[in-house]
Amino acid sequence: MVNKYLLLAFSALWVIFFLYAWSISRRQAHLEKELEELKNKAGRGRPSDSRPS
Amino acid sequence: MGEVQRIFYIHAPSGWVAGTAYCIVFLGSVVYLWKRSPLADDLAHAAGEVGFIFCSCLLVTGPLWAKPVWGIWWTWDARLTLSFVLWLLFVSYLMLRSYVSSPGLAATLAAVVGIIGFVDVPIDYMAIRWWRTQHPQPVIAGGEGSGLDPRIFLTFMVCVGAFHCLFSYLLIQRLRLARARRELSAIRRALAIRSSED
Repeated sequence: MVNKYLLLAFSALWVIFFLYAWSISRRQAHLEKELEELKNKAGRGRPSDSRPS
Repeated sequence: MGEVQRIFYIHAPSGWVAGTAYCIVFLGSVVYLWKRSPLADDLAHAAGEVGFIFCSCLLVTGPLWAKPVWGIWWTWDARLTLSFVLWLLFVSYLMLRSYVSSPGLAATLAAVVGIIGFVDVPIDYMAIRWWRTQHPQPVIAGGEGSGLDPRIFLTFMVCVGAFHCLFSYLLIQRLRLARARRELSAIRRALAIRSSED
């Protein structure tokens, strides 16, 4: 049987790294969303976009 | 010690990486104050954040090893206390960056903390050589009478290498995030200028 302290130590390590990786990916997604919004805003503001095709 | 000695393979490398991370914080802070380079500031910030993660791993795995071996979770000996101070330095560095609203001022103040706090790193490293501590005496680079079984040493060095690779990967990801955030701010500023001109 695996020692409970060993199990706890390795589990804690995995949990900490998964939480950090999740935090980075969440921030990345938030930035991408902001970038998309800015692109849309910039696209709407262009004079060429407002001209009829 | 039995099975529980395997905690050593994740505990000690976490400490080494936390020390490396603070060295990068120190170097980035010095370069930032000297050259005002945004890249150096981003590097210091990223290393501070990733270093905090590894230092937390150090402080979590240490007591989990200590309890079955020493019979206590924690004691305020020199090495443990200085490692805890290192963790507090990472926390204060990150809190300072979050709470100061002006980015320029936050970077400058954080750089000062990054430089002053570096004093802790060599003292923490030397603590088990200078003083008799509850923490085990050095087994690597500890002088005469120290050393590891070659098989344990090899496994340990593989773990140290793996932890440094993981640290580098996380540092690069965190740097990319910082760069994207800077680019986004620049675009936002450019849009604001354009809209004010219109």
